[in-house]
Parts: sequence; C-alpha cells; structure tokens
Amino acid sequence: MAARARQVVKAYGSGETRVVALDGIDVDIARGQFTAIMGPSGSGKSTLMHCLAGLDTVSSGQIFLDDTESTGLKDKKLTRLRRDRVGFIFQAFNLLPTLNALENITLPMDIAGRKPDRAWLDQVVETVGLAGRLKHRPTELSGGQQQRVAVARALASRPEIIFGDEPTGNLDSRAGAEVLGFLRRSVTDLGQTIVMVTHDPVAASYADRVLYLADGRIVDEMYSPTADQVLDRMKSFDARGRTS
Amino acid sequence: MTVVDSDNKNLGPTNGGPTIAGNWTRNDLRSMDITAGHSPRGPTEVMIDADTADKHDLKIGDELRTIAATGDHTAKISGIAAFKVTNPGAAIVYFDTATAQRELLGATGRFTHVNVTADAGVSDTRLKANVAAAVDKAGASAYDIRTQKESADENRKAVGSFMDVMKYAMLGFAGIAFLVGIFLIINTFSMLVAQRTREIGLMRAIGSSRKQVNRSVLVEALLLGVFGSVLGVGAGIGLAVGLMKLMSGMGMELSTGDLTVAWTTPVVGMALGILVTVFAAYLPARRAGKVSPMAALRDAGTPADGRASVLRAVIGLVLTGVGGLGLYAAGQADQAKDGSLLLGGGIVLTLVGFVVIGPVLASGVVRVISAVLLRAFGPVGRMAERNALRNPRRTGATGAALMIGLALVACLSVVGSSMVASATDELDKSVGADFIVQGKGGLTAEAERALTKTPGVDHFSRYKDVGADITTPDGKVTKGAGLSATDPTYVKDLRREAVSGDVSAAYGKDAMSVGEEFADKHRLKVGDTLKVAFDDGRTGELKLAAITSDDGSLEKGAMYTAIATAQRYVPADRMPLTEMVLAEAAAGQQDKAYAALKKSLATYPQYEVMDQTDFKQTLKDQVGQMLNMVYGLLGLAIIVAILGVVNTLALSVVERTREIGLMRAIGLSRRQLRRMIRLESVVIALFGALLGLGLGMGWGATAQKLLALEGLKVLEIPWSTIIGVFVGSAFVGLFAALVPAFRAGRMNVLNAIATE
Repeated sequence: MAARARQVVKAYGSGETRVVALDGIDVDIARGQFTAIMGPSGSGKSTLMHCLAGLDTVSSGQIFLDDTESTGLKDKKLTRLRRDRVGFIFQAFNLLPTLNALENITLPMDIAGRKPDRAWLDQVVETVGLAGRLKHRPTELSGGQQQRVAVARALASRPEIIFGDEPTGNLDSRAGAEVLGFLRRSVTDLGQTIVMVTHDPVAASYADRVLYLADGRIVDEMYSPTADQVLDRMKSFDARGRTS
Repeated sequence: MTVVDSDNKNLGPTNGGPTIAGNWTRNDLRSMDITAGHSPRGPTEVMIDADTADKHDLKIGDELRTIAATGDHTAKISGIAAFKVTNPGAAIVYFDTATAQRELLGATGRFTHVNVTADAGVSDTRLKANVAAAVDKAGASAYDIRTQKESADENRKAVGSFMDVMKYAMLGFAGIAFLVGIFLIINTFSMLVAQRTREIGLMRAIGSSRKQVNRSVLVEALLLGVFGSVLGVGAGIGLAVGLMKLMSGMGMELSTGDLTVAWTTPVVGMALGILVTVFAAYLPARRAGKVSPMAALRDAGTPADGRASVLRAVIGLVLTGVGGLGLYAAGQADQAKDGSLLLGGGIVLTLVGFVVIGPVLASGVVRVISAVLLRAFGPVGRMAERNALRNPRRTGATGAALMIGLALVACLSVVGSSMVASATDELDKSVGADFIVQGKGGLTAEAERALTKTPGVDHFSRYKDVGADITTPDGKVTKGAGLSATDPTYVKDLRREAVSGDVSAAYGKDAMSVGEEFADKHRLKVGDTLKVAFDDGRTGELKLAAITSDDGSLEKGAMYTAIATAQRYVPADRMPLTEMVLAEAAAGQQDKAYAALKKSLATYPQYEVMDQTDFKQTLKDQVGQMLNMVYGLLGLAIIVAILGVVNTLALSVVERTREIGLMRAIGLSRRQLRRMIRLESVVIALFGALLGLGLGMGWGATAQKLLALEGLKVLEIPWSTIIGVFVGSAFVGLFAALVPAFRAGRMNVLNAIATE
C-alpha cells in the first residue's frame, strides 16, 4: 500500500459548534494506482487529501505513507516526508513566479540538496512536452502549460505518491484532457501512484478507482469507471441527498 | 580653579562642568542647606557641595587642596552643603571670606562680586540706581551692576544661545529621520494599494469614482498620520522625562519638575506628522485611483512587478550627473565660500538622484551582492535574490531609506578621519618638541615652577595667550586680537617659517610678528610699528619684525611676541597664566624626561603631560567622541530605516502567502523559509549600505578637497569604519527580518494554499 488511513477523524471546533469533516475514514491507496476522490462540496474530500498528504493534522486516527506513520510527526520530519516522498499538483498557483519552468520543476530536489536524475528529468520534460519552454517564467506560459510544469515537478523527484487537488479545475477541456492524459500515462507506463480530488466526472474517468465521500464518510467506490457511470452515480447521490 | 583630594585626585566634574571656589555668605543659605558639619571658619576649614562629596566619598575632616593662580592651599572639610535647587553640575567649595581673599585672590579686602539685598519696599531697579550712585561716589568706575532679573536674563541668554545651536542640530537630525520616514510611508502605502488591487477594482466596478478611491487612501493616511503623530509626540515627551531622569542619574542635576513643554511642540509635531503622512501617501493614492475596474476580474495572485522605467533612469542619471559635476566643481573651488555652496548643492542633487535611480540600480547591485554572498546558500539564496529583485521599486525605496543615514555616517567619518590624519601629518611636520603640557585654566605659578625644575629636559617653551586690540598703520583697529606671548624657543619648536623678516627677531625688545593674511590685509611690512593696547594693561608700540607663513594649519595667523615684552605692558597680577608648555627632552633622554615630567606634575592632576603619541591619540579621541555623538543622532534615522525594512518584509510576506504555502507544501522547511526571508533582508540592507557608503565617501572626499584650503590636507578613508558599517548593515538586515521571518514560519500551510 502506498498510503493508508485508519479511523481518521478530523473535527473543527468543539461542543455545539463542532463540525466533523472526516468521520472515521478507513482507506487504502494501492501502489501504482490512479485514485480519484469525489463528493459534493463540504463532503471532506479535500480535507482527506490534505490529511493523507501530511499538509493537515488529524483529530484522531492514523495515517501511513508507505510504512511511515505521518500522524504525530513534528513539522520538521513532516516537511521532509513531503519533500522526499510526496508530489503535489494544486488547482492554481502551482509555480513560483520568480523561477523559470525548469527551476520550478527541480525545486523540490534543490531544496533537498539533491541532484536531479538527468535522464529521468529529460524524459519527464519530454513526456509533458515542455522541452522548448524550460527557460520561460510562469507568467509567459499558458494555464495548461503551467499545469504541465506542475505535473513535471511532481513527477521529477519520483515521489512515492502524488496528490492532486483539482489539478484541471482551472483549465479548459482540451488542456485538462492533456494534463489528465499525462497523469494516466505516468501511472500506466511509469507505475506512479496518484491520488486526485475532483468534482469533474470526466477527470474521474481517467482513474482506476473512484472513492465517493459524503458527510466525512466513504459512501461508495467504483473501479475502472467511465465518465457516464460516474455521472450517474453522482446523480443518484444527489437525489438521495435531496430526499433524505 | 582645581580642587584635589589627599590622593591628588581631581574632584572637578568629569562632564565639563566648572569647579568654583568662593566665600561662604549668608546669601548662599538661600540656595543651599548645610547638611553636615558647619560653615568654614578660619584658614584651615573648607566646605564642599554634597553632590561632589557623594561622588568622591568625602567626609568631614578629609583634607582638600585648592590650586589657584595665586598658589596652593590645604584645608580640612568642616561642612557639607546641599543645593536646594538644581545643581548645574559644578563642583563648589567655600572658605570663609578672609581665607578666600588671601588664598584665591591673593589680596585681602578684595571682592569679585557683591550681592546686595534690598530693604523691604525698595525695588530692585531703585536699589541698582542707589548702588551705582554709591560706588561712583567712591571714585570707582565701570562696575557691572545687575538686578536679580537682569542677571537671570543674562544667564538664560547665554545658556539659550548655546541651546539654540543644540536645538537646530537636533532638529536637523530629526529632519533626516523625517525624510527617511517619508520613504517608509510611501513604500507602505504603495504595497497596501498593490495588495488591494482587486478590492479597489471591485470598488471601481460597482461604481466608485477615481476620486473616491483616491480619497479613501488619503483619508486612511490622514487617520494614520493623526494616530502616529499623537503617539510620537506623547512618546517624545515621555522620552524627555526619561532622559532627564537619566541625566540626573549621571550627575547632571535636572529635576523633572523643570520639564517645560511649549504649546508649539505638540502642535508643530502633530501638524508635521499629519502633513507628511498625507503628502507621502499622495502618490500611492493616485496610483490607486488609476486601478481599472478590470483588475477585479483578473486573478491577481501577486501584484504586477513594478519595473523600473526608462524615464526614471534618465531623470536619476541627470540629477546624479549634475550633482556629481557640482561635487567635482566644489573639489576644484579655490574659494571656500563658493565651494561649500557647490558642495551642498552637489550633496542634495546626488542624494535625490540616487533615490530616483535606486530602483534601476537595484537590479544590478542586488545581482552582484547575491553573486558574491548568496551563492553559498544554494536554492534558498537564489530564491532570496529573486525575491529581492522582483520589485525593484520596493527594494530601491527600502534601500534608499537606509542609504540616507549611512551616507551621512560615511561622509562624516571620512571628514573626521581626514581631520585626524591632517592634524597628525601637520604635527609630524611642524612640531619639533617632544612633550606638550596643558590643562584647564592654565598652569599656576607654582605648577609652572615645579614643572620647569624637571631634570632631563633640554628646554621649555611657555605659551601665554594675551588679549589686545591692535591698531595698524592703515588706521584700522583689530579688536580682541590675541598675541601669543611665548619663549623664543617656541617658534623653533613649532618650526614656524617667516615669509619676510626673521621669526626670532620678533622676540627682541618691543617686537612682534603677524601672519601672512593679516599682513596682506593691512599692507604691513617688516619694520612697521603697530599700536598694541594690551587688555588690562598699557598700550605699547611694537615693531613688526617678521611675517609668518600661512602654510600649514597649526597656529595659522598667530602673532608672536616675547613674554618679556608682554610683561612690560601688562601688570604682573593681570598677566594670563601659561596655557601650554612645550618641552624638548635632552638628547637621548626621552623616556626619562617623560617620567620626570609626569612626576613633577603628580600633585597637579588637572594638567596633562603628553608626548606626541599621546597628543595624537587625544586628538583622535576628541574627533572620535564628536563623531560618536553624531552617529548616535543619525542612529535615529537608521532606526526608522530599519523599521522600513521590517515593514517591507512583513508586507511582502503577506503578499506572498500562497507562494510560501506552496513552497512549504513541496518541502521547504521552516528553517529554510526563514533563512530565505533573512537573506532577502540582508541583500536589501547591503544594497542600501553600498549605495549609502559609496555616496557618503564621495561627499566626504569632496568635503576634504574643499577643506584642504582650511588645512585639511590629507584625505583618509576610514576603511575599518566603512567595512564595519557595511558588515553591520548585514546584521541590521538579519535583525529586521526577525519578526517577518518568524511570522512566515508560523504561517499555516493549508490556509496559504487553499484555493479561495
């Protein structure tokens, strides 16, 4: 398993105003799989991803990345864990405006003081199709190109797991499809593990497995989905939500 | 007047206050209370003020020696008296009247002052008239008679004119701090406006006019100005109270009861503070007004980088160029007056030019500093460099604030060390004597006798400053001229050269010398006769025997005559004391003579024996002390500039919240993040320091060139100070980044990256 959550609870506030974002989640993320997390707004899908990725702390329960328990780690160790073993792709604002594309891609390794694996780096850059744009600053790149740089950054350090938070949320459908295609290929061809939060059924259809969250619980899952299946499932959740 | 204890330790105030000895009268009881013992009776008793007694642990029965022009006198302390009012910081001893007259004035029945108290119902002015009539009847003329009010006014005026100079100097420094403050405000408002671009765009989109947006920023500035000024004036008054307490703690008896706050102080302070704030916010406010409604729709992750414009570069270059020309011309000027005007203009123009051009220079200079300094810090250093570079206008303005203070520091330190170097050079060239003996108030006859008996000395050259009015053959009278009455060896010790005549001839009977400039002015030539009316003495006709060269700054324009000549016209009891004695050791006996001279004067702690090394050191210390005071005052401007750096960084951190979150998410540790911000701060500070020090050294060198006309011949750049300030600025940068870096480290990663 690349990541595991055991009885994870995340609550904000206390007493009357207590809000439970995650309510006893158990989940295993298999290695070499592309997992999508779906659910309506407020279902806790982003919170789950943040907790799995070691960006947020949990109220109770345990989270393991590979065999390392990330819950309870101090900031220093947690930062190192993220740096060395996790990759990130956010919805927007993925890149540092002061660094060019290549510097952004190698940033996690630079911070860690590691030399990037040249051959691998070239391959990644080639795959995401940025070869001619490495010296450009983010402001000189289109939204789709920026996200591809972010994907390249996430892939370049060969993390055990990559987390994406609506990585195509800000892109038009063509650019989005491109980015999702890269993610899919990196799983299929390179054996990368990816967890992605999305509310887009089309994006979810690229995944091997879709987890549905509602009110902080995993309420369903689906393997090898198509966009239509995902859409149908979501509609049924919505209907249920409305009648209850 | 000097008072020493039984260990020959000088009891005088160390802060430059005088030592005063007098007779104890009933009148003194008005201002003092006897707190121990009794008032002095007879020649063996003396009373001392409580502050001095406290400071030196003196008790009743301790022996004191007073050293007056008329001789030494030893007495035991019979009493201690404390001031009822603020002691101005003098050391005061009292004798009974007869002892005071005999030992201090050397004559019985003589008084220096008489205090007269009016009977009830007689006004002070009336009394003054009565007294004047009485003393005139006795045949005496020209006594100085003053009522209490006149005397107080006179004192206030004397203290006041000194304080006016102080006040203007202080206000000058405050003005510099103000100027730096303006930078801080402009910068802060620019950043605030930039950060609110979207907000302002939204306001514009829903119908606010430019004017309204503009006004909203100005109103904010107004409120800030009011708040800051109230705080500032309040803190200022608080600081004044604190300072007074501190000064009284250090022996300057100042009671906080004497605190006076003129109504103008808070009013002017508030008005200036508010005006300056609103004025400084004007440019950013205009920029805010120009924000288009479209800005609301754009995703303004970070505000657009403010690029340095070509126009700015051109204006800056022109100003700097013209200023530089002015400085060059000042350096070439052969009239000090024209030169100083050029110098002032050059300084102002180059300063303004540097401020304008700062953002343009920022990119280049920051790159160079980073290349040298930040390489070692790897990617963190690189990001710090890029951050410092991303908004040159901001970096430029922040650095410029620091630049102003440091430029003045550099300039003054160059002038100061050139002063020391020039004087040292001059000493080496022109002073042949091995030792210099001098002290406050001049050498008393007894001290002079003790000194001149010292063995191992080839010769002594005494120097007395004798006041006189000189009437030249052209009929002009030079009032208050001072003649240097010295031993003939004196001019040889100082290697004075004559351009006409022979300097040693000036030591003949009724002869003298004058300086070149004076001779030119009055068209004098050797052989002319000058009418010299000696102060407190007769008028003599002295023959001009030599005209001394004005080369060199030491005793430029001094008029020499023999002590014997002066003595012929000034009565012995009116003859000024010897101010300084030069001594030349017998061949090969330097060390022995030095020790012997010190021993001779052991009982006279108020005099100092200095060899040339000591003397140079003293000179250096004096200049150093003066510089330190100025640096202290400039510190104010530097503190404001540091606050500016803190402010810029703090706002930058807020502006870059998301970036910081992203970096933290992908693995930048807190420590690395903090280091990044610290390095950025260091680079900004070093940028300001580099500009400031460069500019200041330029000013200093120009000032030296100009002052070369006044004898400041040697240019010396105090590299240790300059490098020290530069390195210090790096620490200033580190210090300024403390809080912003800490805050950035504490930033919640999730909040920072959360999308919307």
